[in-house]
Amino acid sequence: MESTTQHWRYDDHIPSEPDCCATIVGMVLEQLEKNGWGNKDTFGIHMAMEEAVMNAIDHGNNRSPDKTVHLVIEICGERFYSKITDQGEGFDPAKVPDPTQEENLEKDCGRGVMLIRNFVDIVLYNDKGNSLELTKQNSEAKA
Amino acid sequence: MSEFECIATEVLENATIVKFVDQRVMNPARIESLGRELLSLVDATSATGIVLNFEGVSFFSSAAINKLIKLESESKKNGLQLRLSNLRPEVRDLFSYTNLDSLFQIKDNQIDAIESL
Repeated sequence: MESTTQHWRYDDHIPSEPDCCATIVGMVLEQLEKNGWGNKDTFGIHMAMEEAVMNAIDHGNNRSPDKTVHLVIEICGERFYSKITDQGEGFDPAKVPDPTQEENLEKDCGRGVMLIRNFVDIVLYNDKGNSLELTKQNSEAKA
Repeated sequence: MSEFECIATEVLENATIVKFVDQRVMNPARIESLGRELLSLVDATSATGIVLNFEGVSFFSSAAINKLIKLESESKKNGLQLRLSNLRPEVRDLFSYTNLDSLFQIKDNQIDAIESL
């Protein structure tokens, strides 16, 4: 039987503007649907991408018009992959306060980083902390 | 005409019921407006509590969650109770993963939320 899935690859630099994040996330959701990803996995990827790209725009590049976010995204029926790189100073994810601790519950920081970890299978930061790679397998894909 | 852009409100029994206009609560500018509108309810309502009904909401970013945390804090200061209801399983998971279900009282539906006030 002919496969209806298709490999989609995106590789480009986007301006540090929130509207660009929404456009990219919209493209990702469209490709996930085309490749037969289920609601739960799609929600997880949506969450991870939204948080990662907005972190890059807001905290990495400080929404500077002189800086861009480099995005590589690959989607097929079985696997999602993305590499998100900003032009900021980077950060140490190990030093981000645990937002689930009672004393941090009402603080704003760290929740996005933690959600990214929860919603994809693999999260890898580079040493500088200005680039991360996300990988998720389609939990409903047939072996 | 409603004074709000991001929420719709009505008063039922002892509660101000709030529904979200956007299905996906993720746009930063809209989230800022949402935060302001939610906080304005704290002073304006004469009800016992506020019920945030998530019916129709399919996505809620961490920035939007931060606005709810602010609302919870301000509600508490003003003696108002806050309830969340009608969350889709995926959105409900957000609150579990982040341990925020220990901060917010989450009910399955609006009736349970009103009765718990």
